[in-house]
Amino acid sequence: MSTGDVRRPSGGKLTKAVAADIRKPKDEVDEAGPRDDDANGGADSKPTSSGATSTATGSRAAGSKSAGSRATPAKATPAKATPGKRSPAKAAPAKAAPTKAAGSKAAASKTTASKTAASKTSPATEDAETAPSKTEPAKASAIKTSGAAKSGAPTRPATKARPGGRPPVKGAGGRGRRPVAPVKVHSERNWGPIALFVGAGVAAILIIGFAAIQLYRQSHQPTWQEKAAGIDGLVDYYKTDPQVVGQKEHAAGILTYKMNPPVAGNHNGRWQNCMGDVYTSEVAKEHAVHSLEHGAVWIAYRPDLPANEIETLASKVRDKEFMLMSPYPGLDKPISLQAWGYQLKVDRADDGRIDQFIDALRKNATLEPQAGCSGGITDATGKPMDLPNPPAPGS
Amino acid sequence: MLLVALGFVAGLLTGRPSWPAEASAEAGFARDMSEHHGQAVEMAMIAYQKATLEEIRTVAGDIAITQQGQIGVMQTWLKTWGLGPNSSRAPMSWMPDGEAALDGNRMPGMATREEVGKLRSATGKEVDILFCQYMHRHHLGGIHMVDGVLKVTARPEVRELAEAMKRNQGFEVDLLEKILTSLGAKPLV
Repeated sequence: MSTGDVRRPSGGKLTKAVAADIRKPKDEVDEAGPRDDDANGGADSKPTSSGATSTATGSRAAGSKSAGSRATPAKATPAKATPGKRSPAKAAPAKAAPTKAAGSKAAASKTTASKTAASKTSPATEDAETAPSKTEPAKASAIKTSGAAKSGAPTRPATKARPGGRPPVKGAGGRGRRPVAPVKVHSERNWGPIALFVGAGVAAILIIGFAAIQLYRQSHQPTWQEKAAGIDGLVDYYKTDPQVVGQKEHAAGILTYKMNPPVAGNHNGRWQNCMGDVYTSEVAKEHAVHSLEHGAVWIAYRPDLPANEIETLASKVRDKEFMLMSPYPGLDKPISLQAWGYQLKVDRADDGRIDQFIDALRKNATLEPQAGCSGGITDATGKPMDLPNPPAPGS
Repeated sequence: MLLVALGFVAGLLTGRPSWPAEASAEAGFARDMSEHHGQAVEMAMIAYQKATLEEIRTVAGDIAITQQGQIGVMQTWLKTWGLGPNSSRAPMSWMPDGEAALDGNRMPGMATREEVGKLRSATGKEVDILFCQYMHRHHLGGIHMVDGVLKVTARPEVRELAEAMKRNQGFEVDLLEKILTSLGAKPLV
């Protein structure tokens, strides 16, 4: 039977099936028909308990018919077939508001709910029995009404007096009913626009936050000194021997150096050509140190380094400005890298710190930022080549 | 709250101009072209000292001074942009198909160490011919890189310098070809 039938009760009994059909879903408001004190289930204004409705059918059905006229809000007491139902029912109005909110949904899913309720009904027989008063098939009609989410106002003009002769709980005028807050048809709050606004706001904040973080990161790159300080095993002579690092006069002839290989100090007036030159014989320290002053990285290797490792180093140096490499007899480690004031000794050409050293210190460690690496000495004899007195033009 | 966030970021953004990033084409161009120029200066300085033809010594000096100055401009850009002179990326990676134009570490048109050594140890007319051939090839490679950055940058200072490079070096390419012909030699490319 259609629920419509229930609404406009024909006056006949509601069959169990019908009651089940129109039984309200759980979340519908329990009308708390205050008035009803249908001890036996107040066919009339009792809010329908979906659970027990079917059993209460009999008289209930009758009651429900008239109840149909009651424009009571849908009851939201699903199978709460518990004895103490009544009280909760009474308290229902308080719950009415929230449940009413659900009411619209409930209305929508009424059919489903009622079907579900129907299935609950059978097994819940005992429940129904225990709470006869709770269940009101009549409520089914009330449910319908409540679907409209009307407050206590009667929605059913088709109110008919119930066979039971009880005054409708809800009554056309809703008299006697506990006042129930009016409820909008569609839930009490329209979440749509709010969700949209919040979503847009969150997205905007995320985008702005991301941009701000990127900007911050970009303007706070580590300095080359910080990068160098992060290289494990790097010796920073600015810290350990600043006096040596501060020496940078030009001097002719063979000079002595504290570190081996040297990283700073007085040096020859001519630098060693450092345009990615891969020297295969020993380079003069006095020229190499001047190259360091110009910002070159000098890779010195022990002459017994395997050929493939020499080639690995050469691939990092060859044709690359501000780089030079040379064999260094007597090196205490296989490979030693120098920049002005910095040194790193490693055992293998595939040591990752080699690239880190170059990335941090090439050109950065210079004392003369605008100086170049071309025009230097290209001989590699291990001895400084002192300037002759002024070189003839074109010579 | 949103307005506060917006205002904060607007402040951040307006507090400084927008600089090219670490991996930008402008940064790549500045780093790579500085290196490319460095070799032009190396060869030009050799020719300035040793070429026989005065015309060659003059253009060599011009090249050395101009390109060394341009290196200074590009290095200053990098400093202003808060970027370092080094990159872990391969040279030319800022240019589409740029890496395909590489030969080892050498950018388009760059001479090998052996060739530069050959120029350095040459004498007489050989210096003239080798310099014109190497520098002619070097300029064409440089112009290729300049074209690459002009395709992708809108920054006025970068465009201005790139266009100046293209103008100067284009003129010098014609001049070097002319001199080579007069020397009875041919360009390499």
